[in-house]
Amino acid sequence: MKNSAPENPGAHSRRTFLKSLGTVAATAATAQVKTVAAELEKANAEKIIGPDAVPVTLNVNGEKIKLLLEPRVTLLDALRNYSSLTGAKEGCDRATCGACTVLFDDAPIYACQKLAIEAQGHAITTVEGLAKDGKLNKVQLAFIEKDALQCGYCTPGFVMSITALLKKNFHPTADEVKHACAGNLCRCGCHPHILQAALKAAGVEHASKTEVVTYA
Amino acid sequence: MKAFQYATAHSTSSARELVGEKGAYLAGGNDLLGLLKEYLVSPETLVNIKSLPGLNKIERGEKFWTIGALVTVAQIENNAEIKKVFPGLHEAATEIASQQIRNVATVGGNLAQHSRCWYFRHRDVKCLKKNGDLCYARNSENRYHSLFTGNDCISPVVSSLATIFTALDATAIILRDGNELRWSMAELYADAWSQRLAHNSLQPGDLILRVEIPLARSRSVFLQASEKHAFDWALVSCAAAAEIENGKLKSPRVALGSISNVPHQVAAANEFLNGKVLDDAIATQAAAMILQGAKPLEFNGYKVPLAETLIRRALLKLKGDA
Repeated sequence: MKNSAPENPGAHSRRTFLKSLGTVAATAATAQVKTVAAELEKANAEKIIGPDAVPVTLNVNGEKIKLLLEPRVTLLDALRNYSSLTGAKEGCDRATCGACTVLFDDAPIYACQKLAIEAQGHAITTVEGLAKDGKLNKVQLAFIEKDALQCGYCTPGFVMSITALLKKNFHPTADEVKHACAGNLCRCGCHPHILQAALKAAGVEHASKTEVVTYA
Repeated sequence: MKAFQYATAHSTSSARELVGEKGAYLAGGNDLLGLLKEYLVSPETLVNIKSLPGLNKIERGEKFWTIGALVTVAQIENNAEIKKVFPGLHEAATEIASQQIRNVATVGGNLAQHSRCWYFRHRDVKCLKKNGDLCYARNSENRYHSLFTGNDCISPVVSSLATIFTALDATAIILRDGNELRWSMAELYADAWSQRLAHNSLQPGDLILRVEIPLARSRSVFLQASEKHAFDWALVSCAAAAEIENGKLKSPRVALGSISNVPHQVAAANEFLNGKVLDDAIATQAAAMILQGAKPLEFNGYKVPLAETLIRRALLKLKGDA
């Protein structure tokens, strides 16, 4: 498998379809054409493709990325090894450690346990997509301020999980942060500072800087 | 994982056609990708069923609620109505795996997931469940294994939803070659009791469409004990559901997970509890009935007192005492 642009990414596009319809369809009402086109797109979607590489278009951080991938390539692999987005990390590759966490239409998921081909049509956000106009988001800033990392390998995953939490819960409790981050592991043991950072980012300052995270 | 073909189905009939005899359905993909990565399964075609219409809804009815097989665990967790109507289901969903998994894991996939036995999951071990000659767990590392089994395989069913659905007396609707089958949870797992190769009663090509939960039990509880307090499999899980009228239990159901290759339920204990006013002594008696005949192995004996405690706690919580 090589990392190259698909030779014919529009093989099943509406344009090809409309061409194939010929003059009869060309004179049909636009609405009808759209209906038929939708039908044909559906029929194409039900075709069996692969196992060789097929065109896959991902929407990552607001940009469309066109790749040629075998259906078995995971989203994590597509990001790291077929694009240049190495922010999501590969730890366990078994949906356990959380280092590969990305947002899938705003919900955190494990990129290692999702096929790239089925991520098409969804908005993927990686840690690279959080900063706007060169400014880090509040979670990233809080991680720096609260010294919430040591080696940093788990950090993008935690940042994504907490960013997702704060999108739907503006002022989470410590327990809610723990629940949201239960699927992220930090082997350096920075969990207390990560909790501090999450609460800081939410504007909920914590009394103690050295709270022992018990996970009780 | 081995290479495979891929298709997206837009109707159940085309899904069945596309999956053929050697394909696999792909929904959340948590269990399937785990199996693929360890080369435990190698389907020719993966058929994405996430676009099948109508299966991702939670629908309220007068007598029962319908939960589509493509509803995610997170959808259940975040549904405020479910928290009120089926609190045990909410509790079970909340404790399943991690946020990242709950966001993609589906009801159908949770019910159909394969054994978590670490010998089964090891790609180089050919155990009984993989048509080998030997159960490696029986005389070795069996701390997570079953207290009850109907065959030589001692890997337990681990679906938390199966446990709570059993207590709620839910029905699974299965599509088999164009016909809808209505199965109790006991029927959904019956083959895992009788056949060592089976994880459930589903045949290749069978598709779980939805689950129907009767509104017969307004009280329900789900408790699990794990080694970690979050993101961990249950060592033992316990669900209880009932109505309480004039202080007395009506149509009570108690079910346990992770101790048998099916959701463990004892009809005699349910009958014993029916009409009783719950107290610690009654709960203890029920627990003894439910665990009667348990056959602990070398390292999983702790599950007996753990299960007993969970049953008592679940029943007392059902009553509102704990």
